[in-house]
Order: sequence, then C-alpha cells, then structure tokens
Amino acid sequence: MRKLITFVGSTLVLIGLWTGLAVAADDARVMQEKRAAEMVDTSAYKKEGPLKIGVAAGYMGNSWVVFTLQHIRYEASLHDEITEVLVTDAAFNPTKQVADIEDLISKGVDLILYWPVDDKAIEGALKKAKDKGIPTINTGGGFVDSPSVTASVFIDQWNLGEMVARRLFQDMGGKGKIFAMLPIAGTTAAVDQLAALEAVMKEYPGIELLSAEYGDWNRAKAKQITENLLQKYPEIDGVFSPAGQMSIGVAEAFDEAGRLGEVVMSPGDEYNGWLKWVRDHNQGGAVTFPTRAGQEALRLGMRILRGESVRKGMKVPSEYISPGAAGAYAEADRPDDWWASELPEEWKPK
Amino acid sequence: MSDRMGGDVDGIQIKLWRWASSNAIWVVLALLFIVAALLSDAFLRPVYIFNVVRQAAPVGIAAIGVTLVMILGGVDLSVGAVISLTAVLTAVLMDGHVANIPLAVTVALATGAIIGGINGTLIAYNRVSPFILTLGMAVVVMGITQIYSGGTARGIVSPGFREFFNYRIGGIVPVLALTFLGLALVGVRLQQTTKFCRNLYLIGSNPLAAELSGLPVRKITITAYALSGLMGAMAGIALLARSGVSSTFAGRGLEFDVLAAVILGGTTFQGGRGGIGGTIAAVFVLLIAFNLVNIVGLDYNAQLIVKGAIIIIASSAYIYFKKVR
Repeated sequence: MRKLITFVGSTLVLIGLWTGLAVAADDARVMQEKRAAEMVDTSAYKKEGPLKIGVAAGYMGNSWVVFTLQHIRYEASLHDEITEVLVTDAAFNPTKQVADIEDLISKGVDLILYWPVDDKAIEGALKKAKDKGIPTINTGGGFVDSPSVTASVFIDQWNLGEMVARRLFQDMGGKGKIFAMLPIAGTTAAVDQLAALEAVMKEYPGIELLSAEYGDWNRAKAKQITENLLQKYPEIDGVFSPAGQMSIGVAEAFDEAGRLGEVVMSPGDEYNGWLKWVRDHNQGGAVTFPTRAGQEALRLGMRILRGESVRKGMKVPSEYISPGAAGAYAEADRPDDWWASELPEEWKPK
Repeated sequence: MSDRMGGDVDGIQIKLWRWASSNAIWVVLALLFIVAALLSDAFLRPVYIFNVVRQAAPVGIAAIGVTLVMILGGVDLSVGAVISLTAVLTAVLMDGHVANIPLAVTVALATGAIIGGINGTLIAYNRVSPFILTLGMAVVVMGITQIYSGGTARGIVSPGFREFFNYRIGGIVPVLALTFLGLALVGVRLQQTTKFCRNLYLIGSNPLAAELSGLPVRKITITAYALSGLMGAMAGIALLARSGVSSTFAGRGLEFDVLAAVILGGTTFQGGRGGIGGTIAAVFVLLIAFNLVNIVGLDYNAQLIVKGAIIIIASSAYIYFKKVR
C-alpha cells in the first residue's frame, strides 16, 4: 500500500512538474510576444542626413549572413542620405565584437545593426552606443529584450519549427516514426525548434519521435548521424529538418542506403542546395528563413532615425513554399551554398 | 613434463603480451569492435563497415600526413583550414564541368603542398614553435578562404565526381573507402621501407644528434610538412567527395579529431615514435565510439560523456598494454 501511495504520489509530482514546465514555457513565449509588441519612443534618435550606418557582424563565416549583409548594402543604396556603410567582422570573437562596436561609435556612425556572438558580452558596448544617442538593432537572430537594444528584427525559430512540423505531419498522414535534425545543441534555434516540434506532436498522437540529433548546421555531420540512425532504426517514416543544408546530408544518407522511398522529408529553408533537391525530388518544400531580415533591419533603422515610433520586436515572417513552387526558386547554375533571395542580380554576392 | 608444459604456456603468454604491447591500439580497436558488434548487428554488415571506412576517410587521410610531422617532433594545426580551403577551391575550379576535374584536383593538391611547404620552411629555418606557426597559418588560410570565397562556398561540384567516389564496388566497397585504405597502406609501406621515414624517426628522437650526424634536417622537415599539407588537400577533396561542401568552414575542428587520432595511435608530441598504422587504428576507434553512442541512441549530452570516457579508457588500455610485458 505504501509503495502504491509512493508511486502515485511521485507520478503526480512528475506530472505537476511537467505541466508546470510546459506552462512556464508557454508563459515565456506569451511574455516575449508582449514585449516585442511594445512601442519604442525614438524621438531622441531623430537625425537629418548625411548618415553613416555601422554593421557589427558577430561573424561573416556563413552564406546566410553574407546575403543578409548584401540586403543591408542594397537597402542603403536606396537612401540618398546614407553616405557610408561601415562593416566590422568579429569572427566569432565576443571580445572583438565589443571593440568593433566601440570603433563604430568613435567613427561617428548614426545607427548600429548587429548580429551577436554572445548577447551578454556586448551588452555594455551597446549601452555605450545608446548613451551616445546611437540606436542599436539586433538583426536576424532571436528577439532580444534588453535596455541596450533599441529594437530586434528577428525570425521566430519557434514559429518556423511549428510550421515545419505541421507540414511534415500532414505530409505523413499524421502517423509514423520520425527523427529531428537540429542545429548546434543549446542554441536558441535548436531549443525553440525542438520545443515547437514537441508542442505540435501533442496534436498528433500517431507521431513518434525516435531521436533528436544535433547536426551543427553541417552537411557532413548530418549525413554521418543519419547513416548511423539508419542502421539503428529499421523504420523511419519522416525527418524533421528545418535547415536545408543539413536536410541535403540527411536525404543523401537515405538515398545511399536505398531507403529514400520510405521517408518523408520536412520542408527545409531556401538554401539553394536544398531547393535543387526539392526540384529533383518534388517533395519537402521550404519554410523560408529570409535573408531580407538585413534589409528589414535597415528599413526599421531609417524609421527610428526619422523619429517614428516602432515596435521593440519586428518579426520577419517565415512562409511555406510548396515543393513545386520551391523547386522553381532553385538556381541550377549557382552553388549549393547560396540563398534564394529577392536581391537584384548586381547586389548578389560575387 | 608439467614444468615443460608450464614453460610453453608462459612462453606463449609472453609472446601474446609482446604482440599486444606492440599492437596495443589494434587490440583496443578489436575490443571496441566486439563491444560494438554485441550492441548493434550493424557492425557485422559489410556495407556498414565500409560505410564507417568511408566516414573515416577525410580525417584518416589528413591524419596520415600529420603523423609524419609528429614523428618528426612537430605538429600541424593548419590541417583543418587546409581541408576547408581545398574543398572550396576544388569545387570552385570544377565549376560544374567534368573537363575541369583534373585541373581542380591538381591545383588543390599543389595548394595544400605549398601551404605545408611554407610551414616546413619557416619551422626549419626559424625554429619557430610548430604549434604557434601552424596555428598562425591556420588563421591565415581561414582568412584566404573567406576572401577567396566571399563567405559562401560558391563552387559547383562537377557531375560524376561525387558519384565516382561514392560508387560501391560489388555493391559493398565505396571507391572513397578503397582510396583511403590504399593511401593508408602506401603510407605504412613507405614508413617501413624508405630512408626518408627512417630519418623522420631519427630526427624526432634526437634532433641535435641528427643534425650533428649530417642528416639533411631542414630538407626532411620541409618535405614532411609539405606532405602533411598535401594529405590535408587530399582530405579536403575526400570531404567534398563524401558529402559536398556547404560552408567555407567545412574542415573546422577536424584538426582536433586528427590530433586525437594521432596521439591515441601512439605518436607523441615528443616525436621519434609511433606510426601511421597506429593512427589509422585510432581513427577507427574514435569513429566507432562516435557511431556506437549514436546507434545506441544516447541523449546528446550523454553521448559527450561516453565519447570522452571511451577516449580515456582506450588511451589507458593502450598504456596498459604497452607497459605489461
């Protein structure tokens, strides 16, 4: 009897904890939405031209940020009052990014766009900018709720994960065994995508998550992990993989194992290598991770410099593109490491 | 009679231990393989085994070259950057045309050898610490890759290139796996038979004595580093063949996998000992460890713990077999 009471008691405690955690996660999300919707008074930042724009890149070592930066340069070219765009590259070094931001301040920039290596590490430098009347915009990462950051232009990873999961489960007919291929463990992208996947799974009891893996945005690693999973699981009906560059590695592993026919691939993003795969196989499609976040960030910055009130968080929405339509975006004469974008030809990276 | 029998048994035991001590890493590999086969029957399937060999190709090929410089008492931390550069370079020069493959491969190999040659020349003539110098070279090469590529891995792999290397002979053995095993065998053979490799050991054991005895230390140093760069370039091409390239940092971090394998394989930072055979075995030990934790389906953080523990246990077992005689 005592054992029974202990068992029931611990089960109830566990359920309570689980529910509590789930509610806490939902609460955090609601809170973030609320904070992002708050309006920022930007009258103190109002400036006439000529304007100098600073971009403090945390890193330039992947094609997505290269395209994002080109979007910033392109948008700058559309504004006569912008005379210069100064770009620094911290090469994944938070200390250098602090120095870079201080350099941009001393060079007299009127606006700083940035993507961080580590949000906390650069908070002091961003505060210096803000104290000198320079607005700061977090570009393309998650929403940052900090007094040092004027606004964030962000792509909602949770929302993206949810869209990818829903489409995958619909394509699978609502049942089957899947695994998830996520980015680097512990990053906002990985945490939010997995949370979204698990949330959607509650609506689809027929879906079983075999394993959540971390492919580090690396095609070779995603392929190697998939090769191993193929040996472990005789049945895999679907793959949740929102990042196109890992999706190609996953799909190749299935193909080489002669098991591509049994699996449904989720939508990836508009990474060209993935779009080529979608075009050739007519499945998967894409949920966009738009590189135009850079352009949107500068547009928002220009509104701030005009003294217009803006939302603290501006979401660049992800969109679902069906396999047929996504295939049409594939650029066969371009490398895999390329992004479908609305950039004019002369502004695409050379 | 019984004494004589006991003597025979002792003799066999001693011989076994001697064999085990000189082939410690192979014993560890065999034990790990048995454990892996007991936990997953995938390790008993030839297709999967050769898949593991193919997975090992990029790190394994690079590790052959790094073993040579470490026997010499040096180290090559630029190998990961060379892999990234040559993978991107090969794809760019191919530009999607079959006719460009020979040029692309030749230029990539030459680039790797030249980078290695520069490492070797600077170390031979300036006596700079190989750690610092090759680390610096890694940063330089990363920068060159970024400037050359503009931040996107912009090459297009020629049709047929990856298909050739991934083609399975007899439906089992991928050409890339065979290439890797071939290079490993050539390396081991050269290590056993050439004067160059004997000199590497002599210089690694006692550089001063080697120099005083008239060995061409500088020439051998430059050649060893050039070979390391060349093998790095081959590893870059192998990486491109295995899974394409999706970033300009495709080889980032691989230098640590390479170093872990070389050291676990018995080639030390002090130089003068170890060899390519041990390195190859260690590459497989590390890869099987990774695949095993993956196949068993451990949670990511538990995977890290088990992988680290396997490396520690494997290296301890190695020392044990080495000591017991």
